[in-house]
Amino acid sequence: MATVIQIIFGLIAALVVGAAVMVVTVRNVIHAALWLIACFFGVGALYMLLEAEFLAVVQVLVYVGAISILILFAIMLTRQVTGEGVRQLVGGWRLWLTAAISALLFAVAIVPTIISHAWNLPAPPGPPGTPEPLDGVAELGRAFVYEFLLQFQVAGVLLTVALIGAIVIAFEERARRRRVLTLAEEHELRKRLAQPAPMEAPAGEPAPAPRAAPISEGEAQQ
Amino acid sequence: MYDIIDALLNRALGFGWPGWVIALISHLAVTTLLFVIAPLQMLFLTYYERRAIARMQDRIGPNRVGPAGLFQPIADGVKMFTKEDIVPAAADKWVHFLAPCVVVAPTMLMFAVLPWGPGMVPVDLSVGLLFFFAISSISAVGLLMAGLASSNKFALLGAMRAVAQMVSYEIPAVLSLLAVVMLTGTLSVVQVIEAQAGLFISRADVPGIPDLGLGWFIFTPVGFLAFVVFFIAALAEGERTPFDIPEADSEIVAGYMTEYSGMKFGLFYLAQYVLNFLLCAIAAVIFFGGWQGPGVNWLYAQAISPANPDGNWVFNVLAGFLGVFYLLAKTYAFFFVMVWVRGAFPRLRVDQLMDFGWKFLIPLTLVNIVSAAIWVALLRWGPEQGITFTQNWAPVLRWGVAFVVTLAVNVGAYIALARIFAAAQAGQGRIDLDEYRDTLTATLR
Repeated sequence: MATVIQIIFGLIAALVVGAAVMVVTVRNVIHAALWLIACFFGVGALYMLLEAEFLAVVQVLVYVGAISILILFAIMLTRQVTGEGVRQLVGGWRLWLTAAISALLFAVAIVPTIISHAWNLPAPPGPPGTPEPLDGVAELGRAFVYEFLLQFQVAGVLLTVALIGAIVIAFEERARRRRVLTLAEEHELRKRLAQPAPMEAPAGEPAPAPRAAPISEGEAQQ
Repeated sequence: MYDIIDALLNRALGFGWPGWVIALISHLAVTTLLFVIAPLQMLFLTYYERRAIARMQDRIGPNRVGPAGLFQPIADGVKMFTKEDIVPAAADKWVHFLAPCVVVAPTMLMFAVLPWGPGMVPVDLSVGLLFFFAISSISAVGLLMAGLASSNKFALLGAMRAVAQMVSYEIPAVLSLLAVVMLTGTLSVVQVIEAQAGLFISRADVPGIPDLGLGWFIFTPVGFLAFVVFFIAALAEGERTPFDIPEADSEIVAGYMTEYSGMKFGLFYLAQYVLNFLLCAIAAVIFFGGWQGPGVNWLYAQAISPANPDGNWVFNVLAGFLGVFYLLAKTYAFFFVMVWVRGAFPRLRVDQLMDFGWKFLIPLTLVNIVSAAIWVALLRWGPEQGITFTQNWAPVLRWGVAFVVTLAVNVGAYIALARIFAAAQAGQGRIDLDEYRDTLTATLR
């Protein structure tokens, strides 16, 4: 059983690392975002392997379902999606120097952790006579309403305010914006503009019909 | 499944295999079963929808292939497989290829937490409900991939509409479920079903109620409002007709599916119908008791289960059949309502869709959460939580008071919000064209 879990862990870890490498190496921004989603998903699978079900589900819900959509929408608003012809900041030997400096800085952070970490963890509990596993969600919920009540309340109020604020902003925007005419209304409007208004436009003066009616040729033919 | 395989291999045949082999076998069996069931459901639902909508439109519908046209979906499937697979020259090949898979895979994963009958759930996750909605949100990524990779404006428009709609309507769906989660105190789908035993009043609320498997949440004011909101959100997530804006065929050809043909298009089609089936099924599970119905619990009490390893396997089969029958009957009834809505209502505009979701459904669900809290406080809480005045009330009295109070809160909230929403919508009704012409000529002059 432990070997199976080791193999599954290896596969998922390879997916996460490979996807993360692809995120920073592919030129196309959309591909990078999609690889990032794969990376998020792999992290969620790792949580699942650790039996942190709630964390895994939230990882998928928040990162894969929401943040990645936000990233993709942001990319849609940018130009130069394919990344061809984009000048790289550094190239040649400078690139390798940059990579070496980054690796060195990362090593400064990670090496003490690796050295001082206790690696001989106790074996995972087996099936016979194991104590009842902790129910992650219930523990988390209890911590939220007893131990970290204030933080939880503040975060909850903040998010609710953001939600309601978004709705209020939408209400105001709509009130200021003029409604788009339906096809039938545009047709009717064009008819009325063609015959000049009785008092404002005296006879002989041409009605400003062509510019006023925002109707394309295709719609007019229908 | 684990109990049955264990009873068969280790007890009846005496193999004495370790637990993880049994678990592996049972999971493989369940997975295979589900991968067969999902496409079959899709085939049946297409036939069902076409026949039902035809009857509503005074037609007959498919009736040539097989008895009463029953093999029409299979003929359609063969047609899909034999069609040419066309990829646009300007398309992003790999993303275009992967998008249908990313759309289909989550719908299959969602089956993992759907309980079919008593003891018949593939995985009983402790966060099953959340898993269901987290996984369903992945398909939005697939839709966006399809839209971006097709290099077609209609596909991109359709994908953006689809994603905006899915993201917006996920919020009311999850918030309406939150009310049910508060009532049951669990996120496990299996426990949500178990909390719905009883007869119109749940046994969890009033202990002495006879168990006919009818203590559904739909019979409580909180559950009713949550169900209505959830079902509307499900229509939007499944892209059913009043909300089929992403593939509005009179506006943007077929939305994100425009550049797909052959079996790739078939996969989108499959994902859509399987998603609709799952949304109907989860609505049945959460608000209508899932497999709960008269007789199932009695049958399952005598069957092989973790609580009763020496039961009779005949009762497993009987309880399973009855449970699946109840679940499918409810699911198909909801799907019929979806078809009915399609036959009855025209398509909404995008702004109407967004207004309705954000300005009406979300406030309504927020109020519903408050009334769920009132329900829990009146029925479950006692002096330990600081609620002392219900201490000496009989359970039925508590239930009655909670029913009346939550009903009043919900109906009041509905009426108030409906009036506000109607007033807001009235401002953007038909405009006075004469006035508009005058302002237009004035600005041009």
